[in-house]
Amino acid sequence: MIILRGRKIKKVFGKKTNTQEVLKDIDIEVREGEFVGIMGPSGSGKTTLLNVLASIDKVTEGMIEINNFNLQKMKEQKLAQFRREQLGFVFQDYNLLDTLTVKENIYLPLSVGKVPKTVAEKKIKDITTLLGIEDILNKYPNEISGGQKQRTSAARALVGNPSIVFADEPTGALDSKSATALLSNLEKINKEKKVTIMMVTHDPVAASFCSRVLFLKDGQIYSELYKGEKDRKQFYREIMNTQSVLSGDGYDA
Amino acid sequence: MAMTLNQLVLRSMRKNAKNYYLYVFALIFSVTLYYSFVTLQYNPAITKEIGNGMTATILKAASYLLLFIVIFFVLYANKLFMNRRSKEIGLYQLVGMPKGLVTRLIAIENIILWLGAIILGVFMGFITSRIFVMILLKIIEKDAFVELSFSIEALLRTVIVFLLLLMVVILQTAMRIRRVSLLSLITTTVVADEKVKKFNAFQMILGFIGLVFIGYGYYLSTTLLDLLDDPTLTPDKMLIQLLLILTLTIGGTYFVFRFSVALILNMVRKSKKGLMSVADVLSLSTIMHRMKSSAMSLTTITILSATTLGILTLAYISYYSADAMAQDSVSYDYVMYEDTGFDLIDEFDKEGIQYTRHDLDLLAVQADVRPLLLKEFALKKDVSTLLTVQVVSQKDIQNKLPNLQLKEDEGYIVGYDSLSAENIRLESEKPIQFITSTGTDEIFITEVTEESLVPNYHNYNFITVIVSDFYFQKLLHDPLNENQKIVGMELKEEDQLKKAEEVFEENKVSVEIPYPSGLATKTVSVESQEIYRLDILNSFGLTIFISGFLGLAFLIATGSILYFKQMSEADEEKGAYTILRKMGFTTNEIMKGIRRKQLFNFGFPLLIGLSHSYFAVKAGWVFFGTELVAPLLITMSIYIILYSIFAILSAGYYRKVVENAF
Repeated sequence: MIILRGRKIKKVFGKKTNTQEVLKDIDIEVREGEFVGIMGPSGSGKTTLLNVLASIDKVTEGMIEINNFNLQKMKEQKLAQFRREQLGFVFQDYNLLDTLTVKENIYLPLSVGKVPKTVAEKKIKDITTLLGIEDILNKYPNEISGGQKQRTSAARALVGNPSIVFADEPTGALDSKSATALLSNLEKINKEKKVTIMMVTHDPVAASFCSRVLFLKDGQIYSELYKGEKDRKQFYREIMNTQSVLSGDGYDA
Repeated sequence: MAMTLNQLVLRSMRKNAKNYYLYVFALIFSVTLYYSFVTLQYNPAITKEIGNGMTATILKAASYLLLFIVIFFVLYANKLFMNRRSKEIGLYQLVGMPKGLVTRLIAIENIILWLGAIILGVFMGFITSRIFVMILLKIIEKDAFVELSFSIEALLRTVIVFLLLLMVVILQTAMRIRRVSLLSLITTTVVADEKVKKFNAFQMILGFIGLVFIGYGYYLSTTLLDLLDDPTLTPDKMLIQLLLILTLTIGGTYFVFRFSVALILNMVRKSKKGLMSVADVLSLSTIMHRMKSSAMSLTTITILSATTLGILTLAYISYYSADAMAQDSVSYDYVMYEDTGFDLIDEFDKEGIQYTRHDLDLLAVQADVRPLLLKEFALKKDVSTLLTVQVVSQKDIQNKLPNLQLKEDEGYIVGYDSLSAENIRLESEKPIQFITSTGTDEIFITEVTEESLVPNYHNYNFITVIVSDFYFQKLLHDPLNENQKIVGMELKEEDQLKKAEEVFEENKVSVEIPYPSGLATKTVSVESQEIYRLDILNSFGLTIFISGFLGLAFLIATGSILYFKQMSEADEEKGAYTILRKMGFTTNEIMKGIRRKQLFNFGFPLLIGLSHSYFAVKAGWVFFGTELVAPLLITMSIYIILYSIFAILSAGYYRKVVENAF
């Protein structure tokens, strides 16, 4: 089943005389249960693409549908509600609220819905156990490590059973060990719980955890790679090759 | 260097316009207020019109108080202003600008801002001082015209004061830039917030002590009046008591803000077991984590609010009571004694002024009020219950109390005012004992009321007993009692008051009346209620005006500080709003939590301030007037409304921040 569908997505920044076309007629489809990576050099528009797909930014032209809801046709209020109920977010800088404990942060997406407290408790317990942060629930963000922060952020994105999770450079601020741990966790959750994940990254290692990787260049999809039956090492090599072809010389990642 | 320092200053000023407008507002407001007040102070017409030896002294004292507010306000605004710009200053240093140059840059900026503010403020102050004079004359109900010329003296003084203040500000800034390292300059906006994690018994105790302090301070304030009756009281002792009350309440307030609030909120948070709604997130936990840094300013705001409210209420009590006090002392529009001033009646007839005439017999009778005392009331040793009370016959007072029906042995007390009540507590349904030449008569008192319906002639501001006509005749014929015939005149048409006053002015007479003992005389004149009222207004008018003026200055200063503080809090929390909005919370949902936070930030200091001022006013109001409840409620309501404006403004700012946070 196709969960996300984008048609002729165009995004233009700037006004009148000084405009810049960041996304040029992108068509994209994501099936349920996919783990899609988006790669590309700086300025290729990968974060912009993620933002418009995630309804954080508006497209200039084109259409985006998630779970058969047309994002362009929804009003601000409705869109917010949609985001809360159907989408999950993980960002590079964690985006945790400093004044809340880990548990309070994770509970946030559930707080407006009509989730009974006992159910909420169970959901929090399940997801934190899965991510291995069940022991730090009462700590504040400034008391835990970067890896733990990002896992908290992931737990918050996943706790409401979203249709799709958007991750923008989730490993960008992590050391390689924490990064690998987080990605293994995401991969596991993707496989076991059939959660659809879309992740922007510039790190080929991170991308090698995905089931499919899209390459963006100058606002267009340049190529895509499927992992298929390959193991992670093989897939990693393929990604590296594509990257060097893509950049010609001096790929900046 | 391609760009000169001046260009850099101008460029950065243009870029910072948003940060500046608050600071500039604070400056202009301060100059305006100060200049207009000093203009009044140096205007000879004012001192002449309100003609009172104390006028100059009061104005001078008030100008110092105003100066204090202005200094406090400007320095605070500067501090916030610098906080908001710490990143920019850090950046200048980061690109290699020496500290001296940065200081000079900020200094030049300040000088430009201040000069602009002084010019604009003086101009506005010149206009507002006229408005203030009009208000002042309106308060004391004078039709006089006061010419206000541009006062060079006031200008000079304002300029000197603000230039000195500017130097202090520049010095402060320079020291700040010198002292602070690059790293900390860049990170000051990240508030080092205290994380309330564990249940701390010590904090709990301190929080509790805060409450006890306030409670004990309140208790002491209620005993302040009794202290006045203590024969061993010295001014020093009184001062110590006052200082003790102030220390207890101010210290207690700080403790409550610093320890109790965070503790209680943390307990509420814990009880939610990690499952908090967004509204809780934005109110409860934010407030809790900010308490350490905001305890001091919230305490200051509470105390300032309490002071302002106290002063305003007391001033308003005297203004409000002017009518009642005039009514108490002169119960009819005009009162004449014996055969004094009957010319006035003829003149009124001649001028066609409509009036009703009431003839009264006022008796001075010795009475013992001991049986009337409130059961619980402990009479002080040296207070005698054997007193002179004024007695009037029911028929003489029929026009004012048409429904009063008294039996032969019944009485009705009027004029039992708050000051009498402080010394002797009476209650109805008990007898009073009149001393007559044949023994004592017990008269059953049906009611004790505050209203003063009868001119007070025989005893200054103590009770008057209304008795039945039959019993009155008995007292009247008793040689022990002194009788005074009085004529009260009530104007029929309110709009004839002005004319009547003119007639009265021309026919003012006073006579010496001998006391029954024959040893001394007292001067009695025809009295006019209107003149009495204007006298009160005139003597309190300036105080009322100044308190109103200072009160307004305090209110705007505290309100602005809270507003500024909320603005920077909103800016600091923008990141959190961005996160929440990305997660799919709507502006309205976020605003719900913010409004709750605002309710606390504005409401809590206000509530404690109201409570403080209530006890302060209660402790001393009897010296200012006769009415407590109405002026207190009116002042508080107006204050709450004006104060709410700042809360609404800051909520508006928050909404803008949340809407832009994405």
